[in-house]
Amino acid sequence: MTAADADAPLVERVKLGDVKAFEMLVVKYQRRIERLIGRMVRDVDLVPDIAQETFIRAYRAIPQFRGDSAFYTWLYRIAVNTAKKALVELKRDPVVTESSLASRGDDDETSRVENELSDGETPDAVLASKEVAAAVNSAIEALSEDLRQAITLREIEGLSYEEIAELMNCPIGTVRSRIFRAREAIALKLRPLLDTREGERW
Amino acid sequence: MSSEPANVMANRERLSALVDGELDGDDVVRACALWRDDGESRATWHAYQLIGDVLRSDDLASDASRDGAFVAALRARLALEPVVLAPAAPPVQRARRFAWMAPAAAAAGFAAVAIVVTVLRNNEPEVAVATSVPAALVPTSALEPPAKAANAETPIAGPMVRDARLDYYLAAHKQFSGSSALGAQGFLRAATADGTGR
Repeated sequence: MTAADADAPLVERVKLGDVKAFEMLVVKYQRRIERLIGRMVRDVDLVPDIAQETFIRAYRAIPQFRGDSAFYTWLYRIAVNTAKKALVELKRDPVVTESSLASRGDDDETSRVENELSDGETPDAVLASKEVAAAVNSAIEALSEDLRQAITLREIEGLSYEEIAELMNCPIGTVRSRIFRAREAIALKLRPLLDTREGERW
Repeated sequence: MSSEPANVMANRERLSALVDGELDGDDVVRACALWRDDGESRATWHAYQLIGDVLRSDDLASDASRDGAFVAALRARLALEPVVLAPAAPPVQRARRFAWMAPAAAAAGFAAVAIVVTVLRNNEPEVAVATSVPAALVPTSALEPPAKAANAETPIAGPMVRDARLDYYLAAHKQFSGSSALGAQGFLRAATADGTGR
């Protein structure tokens, strides 16, 4: 199994009528989709709306998703089309939002960098995101070599458990356990930042 | 590593495997049920996905309250959507593989009827045969899928829609079409037998 069809089990559940499985896919891809849209749409206030619209359209169209491409490739296209359509509609009926007014005087390059960094978030949210990134990175540094290698091969290289087992010369069950332990070790450092009332938010 | 109970850790390990698409069968169903029923599992799923995103790129780091608000808003919209129900992948493929047969069968039926009709029209002087056409044709149309049966009526309803290629065909085979009414009826009978035999 390659990274391309890592979503297949959840996509199948959605097709069987399990809306909750779709929510799981949303949680997986919401950040990537928002970043993608944020690069296309200058008005940061519109990004969450277009991202929402993207996921709704994907949900409606999922019966037609045949798995010929990876689920994310398919979702990516929907996001691009939704953003383009929103831009066309905006041109036809321009709505000046607060954030576009605020960035109007800025030099283009500067504001683009700001957009990518902040995605229209409040300074508090930007700080929280930076703390999350710092916590994850320092937790990864602290992992044992075996755990770090396993989760890196999976998350960055996109290898399957089978491929990782071959590379690390260990059984697949060990790969599964190492990746899980790596995630738990990082999550342990992350949980205090993510939510004090764990579970309530979700 | 953790003071969590063993069942919580077992659930988390299952979610971890699902993050990587390395879970199947009942375990997937169980993991999805965890997401549905258990706030702790939802938070874990989010944490694991966020870890993966940050590993790939720091600028994917996000504030949990922001991510949670996004999902909550989407959940409200999804609740208004009709539930998706798509056939599982294997039956879809099977259906597609044989999909060409429906139009092919309809076309075959159409051609058979058209030929019978035109062959019989060519024997206009044989009044007895001409009047027996509609009755004889009924079983022939049974060869076709019910939905496509309407197509078969087109050549019967009006000789004007006759395909020019058929004229060409008939002109080329004049000696056969003009043979005898008996031969044409024999052909019809064969078609009828074939239809009921199915």
